[in-house]
Amino acid sequence: MTMEDAFDQRLKAAFANAQAPLEQPAQADAFTEKVLKRLANPDRKRVLLLGGAGSTGSAVAGTQLEGLFSNMQMPTDGLLSNVAFLVSPEAMAAMALAMAAGMVALVLPRRIV
Amino acid sequence: MAATDAELTALVIATRNDAAFGELIRRHQSLVRGMLQRMCRNHALADDLAQDTFIRAFEKIGSFKGTGTFKSWLCSIAYTEFLKSARKRKSADRVLEKFQADVEESEAPRDMGNVVDLDRALATLKEEERAAVVMCYSCGMSHSEAAESLNMPLGTVKSHVNRGRAKLQAFFAEAEVTV
Repeated sequence: MTMEDAFDQRLKAAFANAQAPLEQPAQADAFTEKVLKRLANPDRKRVLLLGGAGSTGSAVAGTQLEGLFSNMQMPTDGLLSNVAFLVSPEAMAAMALAMAAGMVALVLPRRIV
Repeated sequence: MAATDAELTALVIATRNDAAFGELIRRHQSLVRGMLQRMCRNHALADDLAQDTFIRAFEKIGSFKGTGTFKSWLCSIAYTEFLKSARKRKSADRVLEKFQADVEESEAPRDMGNVVDLDRALATLKEEERAAVVMCYSCGMSHSEAAESLNMPLGTVKSHVNRGRAKLQAFFAEAEVTV
């Protein structure tokens, strides 16, 4: 065995010694849990960005709804065609906001791959 | 019989199975964390980067073609995360390096079995030399696997390993003379 081989072995042993505490099962489990938790929960920045964009979009849509439905001319009869007259514009705006919020809530837990 | 890395990877690609990916993390976390700890010389930062590495690996696991080992693919992601982080904190690193250089001058090296001394010895290497040495000696990669992970030509990796190894040998030889 040459001196170089002996040094290589010492070097490998030194690296293995430095890495040994990380190989403890408790360490491995704790680290794995942390990563899996981060995978399950999208990061805060993404939540804030998507939440902000969703809220702004639904607020803008909400302000437009009243004008859109208040001047509506319905040529047909029947209960369904009268929904727009039975429900107040505020209620419709609230429903639209709820739908927008629901869509944001659906998108938030998913990660972009 | 435990599933191989290739089987677990295929399962994660097909079903995004968290349990299978958890097993891959459990198997390789010490390798990735050890490698990043030796390269960063900051354990908290190394652990953050190791977490980012596994999350990035999960996100882009579809791009793992299985031509090399999962280990070397993972190490290449870890090295990319390390470089990204190093670029971000370049100015902070300069201050840190100056501080570490001061420590090196004031303290004599002790022995190779000591983790602190190993890190101090690695601090004397250039970044590419350190990465090549860590991949070959800490991660147990062959020169060609390290070349693939570092995205460098094989000859360049061999040179970095040889130069790095020679510097480490000189560092520890000095330690033995001092002790």
